[in-house]
Amino acid sequence: MTDNKADNVPAVSMSGVNKWFGDFQVLKNIELNVSVGEKIVICGPSGSGKSTLIRCVCKLEDHQQGEISVLGTELNDDVANIDEIRREVGMVFQQFNLFPHMTVLENCTLALNLVRKKNRKEAEDIAMSLLEKVHIPDQAKKYPGELSGGQQQRVAIARSLCMNPEIMLFDEPTSALDPEMISEVLDVMVSLAEEGMTMLCVTHEMGFARRVADRVIFMDQGEIVEQNDPISFFDNPANERTKLFLSQILHH
Amino acid sequence: MRSGIKSLNTASNTSAPPDASLSHRIKRNLFDTPFDSLLTGVCGLVLAYLLYQIVDWAFLSSIWTAEQEPLCRDASGACWSVIDARHRIILFGLFPFEEHWRSTLACVVMIGTIVASCFPWFWTGKKLSVLWLCGFGTFYLLMHGGLFGLSVITPEKWGGLALTIFIFAAVSLIGMPLSILLALGRRSKLPIIARMVGLFIDFFRSLPLLTILFAAAVITPFLLPGWLQGDKLYRVIVGFAIFFACYQAENIRAGLQAIPAGQDEAGLTLGLNYRQRVSRIQLPQAFRNSLPSIVNQFVITFKETSIVTIVGFFEILASGQAAYGTGQWTQHYIEVYVFIAAIYFVFVFSLSRYGAYLEKKLRVGHD
Ligand SMILES: Nc1ncnc2c1ncn2[C@@H]1O[C@H](COP(=O)(O)OP(=O)(O)O)[C@@H](O)[C@H]1O
Ligand SMILES: [Mg+2]
Repeated sequence: MTDNKADNVPAVSMSGVNKWFGDFQVLKNIELNVSVGEKIVICGPSGSGKSTLIRCVCKLEDHQQGEISVLGTELNDDVANIDEIRREVGMVFQQFNLFPHMTVLENCTLALNLVRKKNRKEAEDIAMSLLEKVHIPDQAKKYPGELSGGQQQRVAIARSLCMNPEIMLFDEPTSALDPEMISEVLDVMVSLAEEGMTMLCVTHEMGFARRVADRVIFMDQGEIVEQNDPISFFDNPANERTKLFLSQILHH
Repeated sequence: MRSGIKSLNTASNTSAPPDASLSHRIKRNLFDTPFDSLLTGVCGLVLAYLLYQIVDWAFLSSIWTAEQEPLCRDASGACWSVIDARHRIILFGLFPFEEHWRSTLACVVMIGTIVASCFPWFWTGKKLSVLWLCGFGTFYLLMHGGLFGLSVITPEKWGGLALTIFIFAAVSLIGMPLSILLALGRRSKLPIIARMVGLFIDFFRSLPLLTILFAAAVITPFLLPGWLQGDKLYRVIVGFAIFFACYQAENIRAGLQAIPAGQDEAGLTLGLNYRQRVSRIQLPQAFRNSLPSIVNQFVITFKETSIVTIVGFFEILASGQAAYGTGQWTQHYIEVYVFIAAIYFVFVFSLSRYGAYLEKKLRVGHD
């Protein structure tokens, strides 16, 4: 999947990115390169701009300064290229955001029909194979409201994967879940990582970070404060703010 | 009232099995204390007396056929002779007598179209468009004529039930798509469009319907060039449809506003364009969210069709007045109004029951 991409084209590259909400600067001079196949975990205190950062990658938010490129295409106001990018980037939300008026299967086939122009049979085959991958093919005919949170989040992952994206973005995918359901979602994410998917995950699941991340990024007040491989990051944090944050999330 | 409160208390306090027998429940709710029994007895007697009076008036002591009309003077019951003799005026207005079959058939076709579009199977843009194009086309052809050897009957001769149904259907047909456009327009990201649409909606909502219909009937001919005017009936319908759409747009907008922002974002990240997100994600949820008020608007509109009398159309209420307005029938207006009320009731009650059914159906599998 990755070899046909030209060498050295990063999956995501951000340089000098600044973003404001009104007077409030959410992102400050962000420099980030993610190569194809790399798995990044982003953590940091609430309100530090993590969500905003990955939402910029699929253009759910506009940035005001700097450059963001995804798979070699720059994100600007050109509509055609935005749609093209969005098809290559999957996003999983904290609140699942499944379509409540459609069955699980319809949730998955919607974009296959409308965007990828698959016929009904093809779309359902693809959707079923991905529902199997997230271990819930038997729930295909149910409505999202009939599923548990963990099941809903796995459907949301399958729905994104149906579009066969090059990059997957996760925004705190387990934060809205009851504790006993977290691992079923993380298991799916781990196996996705093992298949070589390029992933940017905002999460505070440090076990997951240690296991799959190539790099852990710590954000605070809109800045990337520190980044390192997981072992060095957790065992030898360099920055004071990182140390404080790690002590807060690890000891409770 | 009293027994109602009592029943609530017993339901929450005791551990009576939920499948307590009917006679047991009746006893508990209606005859629990001597006072309850007295109250129940008195109310029951009053109700029974009223019911008997109504049945007696409508069925037992009533006169049924037109020929028996002379008996009406001495009968204590209803004189349904007036309906037997004059129902064609009520149902068809001034429509030429020998063409009444066309008006009947047109009504059947239109009611069929309305009923068909109540089935979820038809709920795609394409199917609904085809259905309504065929239904409305057939209705119009039958009423207006001019093709296939049907004589031309111009709208000023239309009347009665057919006119009421025509106005209701036409207002809905023009008004619903317009209301969706207005609702989406008012939520536009472009401030100019949102502002203008908002102004448009608030302007028409702050005028009485009567004013709008008068303007459409009487004033627009001075403002519009001849080829744009059309028949007075069509102008009135367009005015009515705009009024309907402005209210319905606000109902739909309320439904749109209740959808979490994440729904649209999920659509965006899947690569759906604006049209696809609106038609597949937003509108279905908006309709589900504000179904009660959307159905309510249809009910109000059906009843408000009678207001077109004011600008000179003989819809069912006006043609009913014409039906009892002459000769020997003048005293029998009550029977005519009861008959018309029954027709209204059938339509409006079906509409509300359908709304209730839909609410239940759409809730399946959600929250
Ligand atoms: N649409 C918005 N308008 C104004 N401020 C916002 C908006 N979205 C986020 N913010 C603010 O930006 C900051 C960063 O938000 P976010 O990226 O969601 O942080 P995180 O995901 O790290 O908790 C927060 O202070 C938040 O209040
Ligand atoms: Mg966040």
